[in-house]
Amino acid sequence: MRRQVPLILCFAFGIVMALTEFSPHPFSQWLNEEIIDWTLVIGPFALVLAVATLVQSHWTRIRRRSEYWQYSFLVFIGMAAMVLIGIPLGQRHEAFVWLFRYAQVPMDATMFSLLAFFIASAAYRAFRARTLEATLLLAAALIVMIGNAPVGDLIWNTIIPFEDNLPSTARQWILDNPNLSARRGIILGISLGVISQSIRIILGIERSYLGGVEGD
Amino acid sequence: MKGQRFSCPVLVVQGLVISLLVLGCGLNAFAQEATTTEDTRLFDTAKIWIFLAVILYSATVVYCIYHARSGKELFIRRIPGLEAVDEAIGRATEMGRSIMYILGLGGVSNVATIASMNILSQVAQKTADYETPLRVPCNDPIVMNVVQEMVKTAYLNEGRPDAYNEENIFFLTESQFAYAAGVDGMMVREKPAAVFLQGTFFAESLILAETGNSIGAIQIAGTDKEHQLPFFIAACDYTLIGEELYAASAYLSREPMLLGSLKGQDYGKVMIFGPIVIGVILELFGITWMTTFFQRVR
Repeated sequence: MRRQVPLILCFAFGIVMALTEFSPHPFSQWLNEEIIDWTLVIGPFALVLAVATLVQSHWTRIRRRSEYWQYSFLVFIGMAAMVLIGIPLGQRHEAFVWLFRYAQVPMDATMFSLLAFFIASAAYRAFRARTLEATLLLAAALIVMIGNAPVGDLIWNTIIPFEDNLPSTARQWILDNPNLSARRGIILGISLGVISQSIRIILGIERSYLGGVEGD
Repeated sequence: MKGQRFSCPVLVVQGLVISLLVLGCGLNAFAQEATTTEDTRLFDTAKIWIFLAVILYSATVVYCIYHARSGKELFIRRIPGLEAVDEAIGRATEMGRSIMYILGLGGVSNVATIASMNILSQVAQKTADYETPLRVPCNDPIVMNVVQEMVKTAYLNEGRPDAYNEENIFFLTESQFAYAAGVDGMMVREKPAAVFLQGTFFAESLILAETGNSIGAIQIAGTDKEHQLPFFIAACDYTLIGEELYAASAYLSREPMLLGSLKGQDYGKVMIFGPIVIGVILELFGITWMTTFFQRVR
């Protein structure tokens, strides 16, 4: 029974949700929205457990004096500050907005900006022209980069007065033809994979997400 | 499936009864309340071709699944990223270091996250065998709860419940870049020997993969977000591209019924590839009805 009920519900809801996609009937639309709303209800309950594990893991680090244990205090300070200001004063209060705008957003932006350096290091490795494929990749990347920079067309038109704006035209061709074809191929594969995986789950063939098969 | 006691036909019948009851009662109640301006059609005829395509493809997959039960050996092409799973776990075991499994930012309703959880289940069975620590920082509270149960059962199934440590599967944060920062910090401090990046990833993909690369971990990545694939290919040792992510659990478990669905996926590709080739040939001869037909399908 421990497995049967979830599997029957999974099948029933899987079929119902798939059918509602093809029906414009008001009940169908209502049912679709309602079931999606139900999933939101589960979130807060799981969040309590999740926050408990977060507190537990950082408390353990402090207790055991693990490496860099001092930083765990920052987690508790940050969490307490957001909760103590956010819950009694509300999310629109000046203090809460200040914390969000001048603490969280700059920290997020800092992490995001690291991406530029990581792209440079990854590109350096990927574009080393050691094989034919890597050389093609390097050539395509150079064309796209030159085509993307407005100065690329300017330099081309000044030095070679033949076929105006060739770098941006070549860039567009690469993006519209080889790039888009490859992307569509991958998207088709992903879509078929998603349907196939969904069928396996709906039919109860794929059950590992339920936590194994023991205990029926 | 090991210990499978609940057959699919029974499940299908019980599930169908519930679905029909829900739909029947609801339609009846709404039929009495419907206003004249509402679209009360039961089926959107404009979607008929999509519906038929889904039915045809689903029927093919189901046929292949049940055909596979006959025990006939199926040829499945080699997927290097999945062949390397054993290598990655073995390396971590030999080095005496942990394995980090990152499920991405998807929620539990995301199919890529479910696929990732299925791979994690297979990985957990192997780490239970080798007693290699498996660390899973989670971005979603529901995913964390499901994963804890899955990994616990995987350890139980391998007869190693003592090796399971619930503290190794924990919630980090729901914020995208805070999650990336937290995972990066753990990678740099703990230096796991193997990093799995499987699931839905966005801009944080390269931040995670490059950090994993910098600590010298063997990295196996896979995502359904095609925009993030180039980053993984550049920074990881192995990358599961597109449908390979969904094929992983079947490939790793070698379960005949799951492998059958992979065969069905391949037939699905033939169903799409065939009309593309025919359409190109017809277009070359100036015959456009096929292109026009597919342009009208929505």
